[in-house]
Amino acid sequence: MKIAVLVKILPDDQDIQVNGDRTLDFSRAKSTVSTYDLNAIEAAAQLAAKADAQLVAVTCGPKSINDSKTRKNILSRGVDELYMLADDGLELADAYQTGRILAAMVQKIGDVDLVIAGDGSADLYAQQVDIQTAEALGWPAINGGTALDTDGTTVTVTRMLETEREVIRMPLPAVVSVAPEVALPRIAGMKDVLAAGKKPVVEFTAEELGGIAAPTIETVEILAPVPTPRKKQIFDAADEGAIDAFVAALREVM
Amino acid sequence: MKTLVIAENEAAARELAAGARAYADEVVYATFADPVTGIADKCLVVEVPEGQAKEAAFDTFVKILADEDPQMVFFEPTRRLKALVGRLAAHDGASVMTDISAIDEESVKTRYFGGIAERTAKSITPVAFCSAGAGTFKDAEPSGTDVVETVEYVAPAVTLECVERETLPPAEVDLTAADKVVAAGRGFGSEEELEEARTFCKAIGAELGCTRPLTETEDWFPREAYIGVSGLMLSPEVYVGIGVSGQMQHMVGVDRAQVAFAINKDAHAPIFDKVDYGLIGAINDVLPKINAKLS
Ligand SMILES: Cc1cc2nc3c(=O)[nH]c(=O)nc-3n(C[C@H](O)[C@H](O)[C@H](O)COP(=O)(O)OP(=O)(O)OC[C@H]3O[C@@H](n4cnc5c(N)ncnc54)[C@H](O)[C@@H]3O)c2cc1C
Repeated sequence: MKIAVLVKILPDDQDIQVNGDRTLDFSRAKSTVSTYDLNAIEAAAQLAAKADAQLVAVTCGPKSINDSKTRKNILSRGVDELYMLADDGLELADAYQTGRILAAMVQKIGDVDLVIAGDGSADLYAQQVDIQTAEALGWPAINGGTALDTDGTTVTVTRMLETEREVIRMPLPAVVSVAPEVALPRIAGMKDVLAAGKKPVVEFTAEELGGIAAPTIETVEILAPVPTPRKKQIFDAADEGAIDAFVAALREVM
Repeated sequence: MKTLVIAENEAAARELAAGARAYADEVVYATFADPVTGIADKCLVVEVPEGQAKEAAFDTFVKILADEDPQMVFFEPTRRLKALVGRLAAHDGASVMTDISAIDEESVKTRYFGGIAERTAKSITPVAFCSAGAGTFKDAEPSGTDVVETVEYVAPAVTLECVERETLPPAEVDLTAADKVVAAGRGFGSEEELEEARTFCKAIGAELGCTRPLTETEDWFPREAYIGVSGLMLSPEVYVGIGVSGQMQHMVGVDRAQVAFAINKDAHAPIFDKVDYGLIGAINDVLPKINAKLS
């Protein structure tokens, strides 16, 4: 059995700066794995171990995603191989383009039985790439998974909806996206990181995947919001009377 | 223009149908059960057979889309509809923009990196699919007829067998209705420590919510209690963040609070830049003192 986990690599939001004109400055932001994809990798690794399956990770994005630290990060988490398409044509790619290209990658990898995706990416959080990849593959899909199991021919997914809990069974091949509570990401040890450096990374080109689809969305602008004005009166509890001053401010609005 | 509204719940159906009215001369609304009348020109009901996931209605919706031929599809941002409608859009090669925060004739706005920025984007496909959360069209009024049609179910090629389905117990508090909201963050070291936060809430007349990690990494709160871009978006009079660092993903959910407070042991915590009054101090030290003074 072969399981593929979809991973987005993007700038670390902790290092994104806002310029004076409210545009974003990514120059100091290093690449990182999108937060909730770490939970998806962990869920996939646990399922792969249980089902004695091979686990591959699949990622695509602009050229900046291809750095060795991020590759090792992914490969140190129980992933056997990494497949990557790093092409600047995917800068600001929309869910349709991403879904099409990830599906082409999954097909090219071959023999994949189950695709696992995360809850949503840290940048757009559109929660669409799972289902759009499934549609491009022509496979069934279920989102919101909090537990999954497979018998080799079907996958059973427990999912939490807004007001319901469901258990859904579907035949393989299939796509499942998982909520963060499905599994806590592991902390990779030194040994895992060293071993990760020796694992295979396969780089595809857009051409061999049939090219990148035309966009469906045009981005007009990306601007930081004007911050809500705040008084910013900060008291230090170590100072005399600070707690009283804070409590007095609270009483004002009670 | 014609807009198709797809919603599971009544409140969302009303708001989206009302929002659609502003742009469309024809509004068609589709749902699974308990159709709301008087909000659209026509209501379509898709009955999914027992024992199947609602997403099994995909082929039926493909037919609805072909028959109705809308230029715009508005859908409620539930997990199920993100899957079902997202798949419809992909099938059609159309754009999808989820959880939009604003819309005009030209473009929509969505949050980028959890609210660090706002992205203005345009659909460049003949049909545009958008999901909008509660409050996006809150001032609009729906109107329509009582026409309800049941659509013939088209069985899917692959079954999504629903082995179990249970309704979760309703949320105990409604943070969206609270005037004052306190958020507990990871600064709370244990579930017991939350007692002090509850005492504080009683003293100031607030409801207690939390940041996302407290429902995820810990299960101290139900999922409906977390505030932020992927949880509750609130507009309370007063917000107090305790042991909350002030990450954008959380703060966008309380950005509209009239007055904001924070308690954090780290003088450099980003939250101190986003509040009116802050107190630098450790929870177990300062919160009991505050509670004593308030009682
Ligand atoms: C796509 C995506 C969506 C997300 N959506 C949401 C969302 O909707 N809502 C949400 O909340 N988060 C969301 N997050 C997570 C978010 O990025 C932050 O990780 C989270 O909000 C941080 O929670 P926190 O402030 O409780 O914890 P931390 O960031 O760990 O902060 C804890 C704070 O407590 C302080 N502290 C520690 N001990 C004490 C003490 N004894 N006394 C006083 N202070 C103390 C620390 O100084 C620190 O500032 C999302 C993330 C992603 C990637």
